[in-house]
Amino acid sequence: MSIRFSDQLIAVLPRLRRFARGLAGSAADADDLVQAACERALARQHQFQEGTRFDSWMFRIVQTIWIDQIRARGVRKEDGDVAEERLGSDEPVRRVEARLALDEVRRAVDRLPPDQRTALLLVTVDGLSYKEAADVANVPVGTIMSRLARARIALQLQLEAGGGMRRSS
Amino acid sequence: MQKRSDDRLIAYLDGELEMAERREIEAWLDTDPAAREKLAALAESANLVRLAFDEVMHEPLPDRLIAAARGETVSPEPGAQVLPFERRPGKGRAPATRRWWIGLPVAASLFGLLLGGGVAYLSVAKLAPGGIGGKQPAVEMAAADNVWLDNAAGYFKLFVSAGDGAMIDVPATGDSREALQKISQSLPQEVRLPDLKPWGLNFRGARLVVAEGRPAAQLVYTTDNKAIGPLTLIIGSSKEPDVLPALARRQDVNLLYWRHQGRSYALVGQSDVGYLWGIANDVAWQLDAI
Repeated sequence: MSIRFSDQLIAVLPRLRRFARGLAGSAADADDLVQAACERALARQHQFQEGTRFDSWMFRIVQTIWIDQIRARGVRKEDGDVAEERLGSDEPVRRVEARLALDEVRRAVDRLPPDQRTALLLVTVDGLSYKEAADVANVPVGTIMSRLARARIALQLQLEAGGGMRRSS
Repeated sequence: MQKRSDDRLIAYLDGELEMAERREIEAWLDTDPAAREKLAALAESANLVRLAFDEVMHEPLPDRLIAAARGETVSPEPGAQVLPFERRPGKGRAPATRRWWIGLPVAASLFGLLLGGGVAYLSVAKLAPGGIGGKQPAVEMAAADNVWLDNAAGYFKLFVSAGDGAMIDVPATGDSREALQKISQSLPQEVRLPDLKPWGLNFRGARLVVAEGRPAAQLVYTTDNKAIGPLTLIIGSSKEPDVLPALARRQDVNLLYWRHQGRSYALVGQSDVGYLWGIANDVAWQLDAI
């Protein structure tokens, strides 16, 4: 195993964990996902092309494994399901602690359809450009733009409904 | 259902629009208070999402993930990835758990004298007790030549036992860059300061020490969070080849060390190794040291 390869992998672990946490929801599932991604990356390190972005390659592996997992479990939602849910409506009206608000944000993200969630995590959380996110998700830039917009609007509506975000006056 | 304008507004917020489109959006925002309100709300929700997942970045990396990234399997025993105390000559002999760092004050004093006399180097190897014998795990092999890690842990223990600020040559009062400049004057290479505030670690000052037989900077960070700090980061120069980050342990002190392009690094503390990995990653990225 290449030392350089392993170094790169360890260096990107915190970001992979954050990405996986957003995808998988729970910390344990997220770390299982990252571990599986590490194992797959090491097994396929010969497929990584020098000169391309290592982080994007790893994000793609994480995302691919996650999609495989949710397909296997049959829990994938179709885009648009979220808009019909009354998300956050069962949450307490008052929310004064920041932690609770952030928990609500995480739950709201968790309720987004997988494609939208991926776009949101790659662009809004990790700061990838639309082009980079499109490369990770293996879709055109316009698709990322559209998924991201749907995710952002849905998220905002959910947070406003749940009180996790102050309404603009 | 979102409108076409939502796509563009979000793309504007993300800095993804060309100049002409940006101007178009800005003209729209100038004249439409509702659009401005929507933009502010989108920016706020984006910040909330970032905040919601940011804390993951500051969690200690689980041992099993570090092992997975290295292609290793992790032992179920807690802390199994931390290296044992360096083995001393003599089969089955218990390691000297107390004495190994007692010589450090002498080392520090000698180093001060040598600096005053204009002598650049000091052989740290002489300070290290004994060699290392027996077959060692792969990760420990990396530590075999690094007797300076004994000293790195010793400097840390000295700082902790001496009390707050007592073992700092150049305190970080006011502008921390000044402390770095002063320390750098006595070193072969300028030292840059990693910002570890996201970990709750505050830079307290720096001290001249010895690493791999050369003068080095010991950067001292403290925090109220006893699970993380205090921590010291030693940055020295080295002519040895690069080594990947590896863990070592001296008594109750954990060390994460690596070499990169002529510099040696050792992050030293009593915190969980997962935290050390996370912080070392941060240091490496900030200093282009990986």
